[in-house]
Amino acid sequence: MSKDTKKPFRQSMAEWRQFIYNPNSGEFLGRTAKSWGLILLFYLVFYGFLAALFTFTMWVMLQTLSSDIPKYRDRISSPGLMISPKPDTALEFYFNRSDSQSYSEYVTTLQNFLESYNDSKQSQNIECTPGKIFDQSDAAVKKACRFNISDLGQCSGKEDANFGYSKGTPCVLVKMNRVIGLKPEGEPHIQCTPKEEGVVNINYFPPNGAMDLMYFPYYGKSLHAHYLQPLVAVQLAITPNGTKEEIAIECKILGSPNLKNQDDRDKFLGRIAFKVLMSE
Amino acid sequence: MGMEKFELGPSPPARGRRKKRERLEEMKRELELDDHKLDVKELELKYSTNASTGLSEAAAAERLLRDGRNELRPPRGTPGWARFGRQLAGGLQCLMWVAAVICLTAYGVQRGEGDRGSSDNLYLAVALIAVVVVTGCFGYYQEFKSTNIIASFRNLVPQQATVIRAGQTLQVNAAELVLGDLVEIKGGDRVPADIRILAAQGCKVDNSSLTGESEPQPRSPECSHESHLESRNIAFFSTMCLEGTATGLVISTGDRTVIGRIASLASGVENEKTPIAVEIEHFVDIIAGLAVLFGGTFFVVAMLIGYPLLRAVVFFMAIVVAYVPEGLLATVTVCLSLTAKRLARRNCVVKNLEAVETLGSTSVICSDKTGTLTQNRMTVAHLWFDGQVHTADTTEDQSGESFDQSSPSWALLSQVITLCNRAQFKPGQDSVPVAQRDVIGDASETALLKFAEVTSGPVAAARGRCPKIVELPFNSTNKFQVIMVTGDHPITAKAIAAAVGIISEGSETPEDVAARLRLPLEQVDPRQARARVVTGTELASMAPGTLEELLRTHPEMVFARTSPQQKLVIVESCQRLGAIVAVTGDGVNDSPALKKADIGVAMGIAGSDAAKNAADMILLDDNFASIVTGVEQGRLIFDNLKKSIAYTLTKNIPELTPYLIYITASVPLPLGCITILFIELCTDIFPSVSLAYERAESDIMHLKPRNPRRDRLVNEPLAAYSYFQIGAIQSFAGFTDYFVAMAQEGWWPLLVLGLRPRWEDAHLQDLQDSYGQEWTFAQRRYQQYTCYTVFFISIEMCQIADVLIRKTRRLSLFQQGPFRNRTLVVAIVFQVCIGCFLCYCPGMPNIFNFMPIRFQWWLVPMPFGLLILIYDEIRKLGVRRHPGSWWDRELYY
Repeated sequence: MSKDTKKPFRQSMAEWRQFIYNPNSGEFLGRTAKSWGLILLFYLVFYGFLAALFTFTMWVMLQTLSSDIPKYRDRISSPGLMISPKPDTALEFYFNRSDSQSYSEYVTTLQNFLESYNDSKQSQNIECTPGKIFDQSDAAVKKACRFNISDLGQCSGKEDANFGYSKGTPCVLVKMNRVIGLKPEGEPHIQCTPKEEGVVNINYFPPNGAMDLMYFPYYGKSLHAHYLQPLVAVQLAITPNGTKEEIAIECKILGSPNLKNQDDRDKFLGRIAFKVLMSE
Repeated sequence: MGMEKFELGPSPPARGRRKKRERLEEMKRELELDDHKLDVKELELKYSTNASTGLSEAAAAERLLRDGRNELRPPRGTPGWARFGRQLAGGLQCLMWVAAVICLTAYGVQRGEGDRGSSDNLYLAVALIAVVVVTGCFGYYQEFKSTNIIASFRNLVPQQATVIRAGQTLQVNAAELVLGDLVEIKGGDRVPADIRILAAQGCKVDNSSLTGESEPQPRSPECSHESHLESRNIAFFSTMCLEGTATGLVISTGDRTVIGRIASLASGVENEKTPIAVEIEHFVDIIAGLAVLFGGTFFVVAMLIGYPLLRAVVFFMAIVVAYVPEGLLATVTVCLSLTAKRLARRNCVVKNLEAVETLGSTSVICSDKTGTLTQNRMTVAHLWFDGQVHTADTTEDQSGESFDQSSPSWALLSQVITLCNRAQFKPGQDSVPVAQRDVIGDASETALLKFAEVTSGPVAAARGRCPKIVELPFNSTNKFQVIMVTGDHPITAKAIAAAVGIISEGSETPEDVAARLRLPLEQVDPRQARARVVTGTELASMAPGTLEELLRTHPEMVFARTSPQQKLVIVESCQRLGAIVAVTGDGVNDSPALKKADIGVAMGIAGSDAAKNAADMILLDDNFASIVTGVEQGRLIFDNLKKSIAYTLTKNIPELTPYLIYITASVPLPLGCITILFIELCTDIFPSVSLAYERAESDIMHLKPRNPRRDRLVNEPLAAYSYFQIGAIQSFAGFTDYFVAMAQEGWWPLLVLGLRPRWEDAHLQDLQDSYGQEWTFAQRRYQQYTCYTVFFISIEMCQIADVLIRKTRRLSLFQQGPFRNRTLVVAIVFQVCIGCFLCYCPGMPNIFNFMPIRFQWWLVPMPFGLLILIYDEIRKLGVRRHPGSWWDRELYY
């Protein structure tokens, strides 16, 4: 219940200065050098111990982890879809079919992306039985299935080095995110639908946009180093009606009951939407 | 003020023109008031009453129904919405508002940039506003409740009035007085209504509450002035009768009294904040200031590292939210009011909450002897007449030997005892033995009355034969009446002090030393004596400074026969010596000292209204032991508040470090703002309040009282220990669990470091984890929520260990009994249940960002909880084993 007495400003300033350095007792911020030394030493030991404990716990935890398979896959029960090329900002393609500069970036991205699908890179990959899950859980060395780039037809880059961008038939590759152990059921295939009818005709490579089951499951990057995920090329043949306006397209994975494509919260789970604006 | 709303106000509130007319009528009535000019006959006629026997019970009841109770209608205080508004506009709240606005701006800007994905900032803004509103509601409710408590205290200590109805003298609640009642007032009473004095003996009143002049005003039956406000024969409601006695007729009650009409006087009753609340608020402000400073630093750092402005602002705000202990004020208020309630159960009514805490730091108790230490029951033991001391029979049933009653002096003395005595038996007790009858009157007169009744037959009859003509009333300056029985002599005072333990066994006064050493008193060095008895006369002749010297040298002191001024001087001297002084007392003469004391304690039964008014605390059962309870509770609440605050502060570090690591090491955010708010305002409130129920550690009464200027509630070791040690361990626990949860889901620690920009890129839908799996943005966000939850659970687990270690500051947890505080156990269970609910209730991920986490992630922080327990046991062991050592100085809070 001490009565508050306002101290004059100068006095409180003097007290502060006294607190910061007190020449009489040699105290700096309320402690002498020895006191500071002791307390800092204490904290050094204290935090040293905690850090050691933390490091040890982390080490023990990492020992319990397999380097092949993650312990849990709680958040990725169903894979997302992604496209290539992926424009920098949003998923919006803007290009002029007569200006090669405007789509060169897409073309380079596609070329780079398909690099790993080159036959020369796939020499170790084996031919698998189409239409069947390729289960190799017993095998020590997991083999990767060959994905023939020629299956992508006009979008393979072999026939048209510009992937159709110069012809008004741009190609977009749709891929499904890799998830370890995922075994799709049924006959998964990609289907894309434009928002407006009649502005674009869509071709799929391989036919029907099918994703063959033989590419599943994935065994993780250390066991399955050469794994290549199946691709579906979507060729958008833009009709004269469709130029000069944005075409909104949504692609979904269909035909497989265990691949979600309708999640409210995740707009990329089993589906992807993008826009194309082509000018001439 | 809920309770009082039900009382029928004598004049219902009216509006507009009706109100105007009413006021006009009221003014007219005021002009008409001429009671002071009327004589007794006219008054009897006007109020249809009898000036000697009073009203009949039936008439009184009827009038009570007609006019309403004799109470002031509670003033219309600040309107509810304004008080609520004030709750929403505190320093901390303003900070939160700013934060919410920042969030909304951030959200708006993000929307403007076409980022539809993140509504986090919107949610956070909503959550912040909700927090401000909820804490505002809580604060409002607390304020409302404390107002209610104060109102109920007023009812607990009702003012009594002595009234004559149908010829019988009764004690009634002053609120039941009606017009025409015949009332008696005596020194120490509060005037129960506006009364017209019919008879008075040396009556003086203190009108300072009305006029501001504290000079005692004489009151007598004569009309002395034209205006009734000035006339001597009117005494006003709520003024104090200082000395003498008077009989008067009630001429107005309740809101129609003079004081009731001075509306402004009544509405000045504001609920002031207690100093402890001020100290806490001050502390929170410092913390908020630190938070702003800290946040500011990181804002600058974030800008320098190259974060966009908006992000940096959001960081700033998040740090503020993490650092500010939002739940602290609520915890402290609840703890204090819990203790006040607990004290009230033990018959200590605390008029202001802060007094509870002050009690604990009391270092000197100045106790008034009469009625405080003793039961305020007196018996005539010896008589002195004819130059001889006679022994009276003190047994209850008069079986003992009596003295010689044949002397003429005894006849005279007995007559004096019978007649010069204002005490009287309450009616309707004729069958009760004299010694056990209830009496209206003070202790010494009661003793004399009973003595007279036993020795010389019915007093009432004797008084009937000799009606009272004039009375020379007793007061403390001309104490000539009853010296022989009050025993107020130094020797008696010393004897009583020794008997009740004020002078402890083995202590000697200088007189004792002199007797032991067979020396004259002058040659004794007073410093040899522990105890000392000082009389009022000695005190009066002392040189200034001598008293302080005496107080310093003798820890046990008894003052005998002191005047009110001297009591004040004693209190002031003690305070000058730096002591926190508690004064107990019951009489009017004690009230200046009660007021001056750091904490004044009045007696509820024996205490006069003046004393009760001046006191901070009232002992309803007049039991001195209750003060000790009070002191104990005060120290306990101080200790427990300290523990509560330490507990509350600890978690600010594990709430803050995630942001620091997030900004500096670019990891995905480990703990969200909304989660922090849940910890602060939901799960951790219960354990921190439950610490208020903690038993005292060892015997707190053996400890020295704290020095409130030095031993602060929150001191440096407390903050350092909570923040840099326990808080640090908790942070490590949180991060361990965070990295475990990330690694087990596929994100190894080394990948996580520096991952933030890609992790938070909303356009990146195929981010690879350590195993080559690809994650969409939404999947990553749910993983981030999982981290929030895991971190939340880690803090909760560690806080369970924290609340256990906070149970004691010095003793081992096992000496205290880990489960003896049932409330705390229940609070822990409840906390865990809330945690489970938040984690596993469906829908939580998208509302409050809690994910159902795996069971083993509950286990990860437990070793750290164990570490906290063990480390604190080691700390306490060191503190107990090596008092005064470096360890004790640095680590004992």
